Amino acid sequence: MKFKLIYPRWEKLEGQTIFYLPPHGPVVMAADLPSHVEVDFTDENVEELVIDETPDLIGISMMLTTQVKRGWAIADQYRKLGKKVIFGGISTMLHAEETMLHADSVFLGEVEGRLADVFDDFRKNELKKVYNFLSKPPDMNLIGPARRDILKEDLYYHKGFRMVDLFHASRGCIYDCYPCAVRYLGGRGFRPRPIDRVVEELSQMENNRLFIVDNSLALDTKWEKELFKAMIPLKKKWVSHTIEDKDEVLDLAAQAGAWYVYQAVFDTSDYIRNRIKQYHDYGIGVEGTILLGLDNQTEDDIKRLIDFLLEIELDLAEFTVLAPFPHTKAYSDLLKQGRIFDHDWDHYNAGKVVYHPKHMTAERLQELYHYAWDTFYKDEPQTQKMFNLLSTVIQRETEDGTYKPRRRDLLDQSFGKEINPVA
Amino acid sequence: METNPEFTRYMDRYFEYKGQWDSPSKCGLKIVRRKDGKTLAIATEIYRQNPGTPVTEWVAPIASQILHEFGLNPENFIFVEHTPDLKSKLTFYGETFDLVTFDRDGNKFNNPKWKRLNREEVDLLMEE
Repeated sequence: MKFKLIYPRWEKLEGQTIFYLPPHGPVVMAADLPSHVEVDFTDENVEELVIDETPDLIGISMMLTTQVKRGWAIADQYRKLGKKVIFGGISTMLHAEETMLHADSVFLGEVEGRLADVFDDFRKNELKKVYNFLSKPPDMNLIGPARRDILKEDLYYHKGFRMVDLFHASRGCIYDCYPCAVRYLGGRGFRPRPIDRVVEELSQMENNRLFIVDNSLALDTKWEKELFKAMIPLKKKWVSHTIEDKDEVLDLAAQAGAWYVYQAVFDTSDYIRNRIKQYHDYGIGVEGTILLGLDNQTEDDIKRLIDFLLEIELDLAEFTVLAPFPHTKAYSDLLKQGRIFDHDWDHYNAGKVVYHPKHMTAERLQELYHYAWDTFYKDEPQTQKMFNLLSTVIQRETEDGTYKPRRRDLLDQSFGKEINPVA
Repeated sequence: METNPEFTRYMDRYFEYKGQWDSPSKCGLKIVRRKDGKTLAIATEIYRQNPGTPVTEWVAPIASQILHEFGLNPENFIFVEHTPDLKSKLTFYGETFDLVTFDRDGNKFNNPKWKRLNREEVDLLMEE
């Protein structure tokens, strides 16, 4: 049975250096496919999608809200050819009702242990309109190594440098953060994978550089310490979201290969200043994630925050404006107050203002978003700052003997496209 | 329509509802029978104790279910959505009250509209 799995393209954030990481959802999903299913994967961000009648079933995996309209358009084309289309992934769950209008079936929740039945239903021409497992998370033991073999690896290189591979060691989250939908997507609890299963998968991964995409590594001290201890011998180097601020945790994380973290910077407090310093003291870099346009921010607050970021010597900063994604408290609050003026999901890329901010106009917030990027990277461009971080990891890999040189055959390629290698 | 015997003048308890995609969900619920014969229901978001759909996202079905379960008269029904103060470092988790009004299709509510209330306005709603 031929299964065409598609990851729709989306427009990248304005102001940000463009790079493409191998997607995570599709490879995790593919690990649960029955053995008789032959999967052909297309990541539309790095290759052209050819729509034809070859596949038996089409799967569309969507992570971002900015993917949904493109995903629906692809589905509409396939369905015109008489093909059945099933949707899954994070933004399928966030936009389930709308997606159903373009789908033969939508899968809500996590797939492990479930796809055999779905494909059996398809074979019997009894595909259900909805497979709803939102409130039924699977046994974490069932999460096997992701099927990274479905990726066309060479498409994720820039000038011979390989991008990080995505990996996860846990699901869910105990927090209920204002702009985040994890409470809806992953249930309101922390669900770690068994450490031995994590190590099994990591050991099989050829790529030495990873992005551990867990929502947070600050949810369960005991598990974090066990995880990091188990990772030390693997000598991987990794990026992650927040790591717990206990010294013993950060020390183990550094030994386990923590390269840099994405850390939310929401104010100019000493707490944040010390948090960044603490990471740096352990040799862990910090990319600040800065959300602009919250109700407690005036124009002066935003400008002061940007000055503060330069003062605390963040390694990188990523600025976004609040995007009220469905199933977040931000969405609920702004909806209640009638402040959302733009419901075009293509604009929900966290770079466009789609609501009325409390202390300024939407236009002014849009200007401040550009001001933030320009000001932070005025003296040292983003590419240089990224190169600095890359240098630190190369140095560490050289020291522990895991460094792999650039692929010379891909020096003139950037994400599958030919480029001038010296430009 | 019969009034649920559990409810006389004042009630304060958890309230279970089936949220979006049938997710088992829970909120806090106060019901007050006012002197003027109207009934005030206050549904409280309980965040981490709610395993499913938040109150805001499911407010119309919740109000409809309360109406049905407690045998209340939709003509004399006042609904308030409450979020408690979580004492968070972030200001977005302060206490809020919103008066929610709906369109009606028989005993079913839809198309909610919210109007922010201050504490004094809520106290007045409870006393009347």
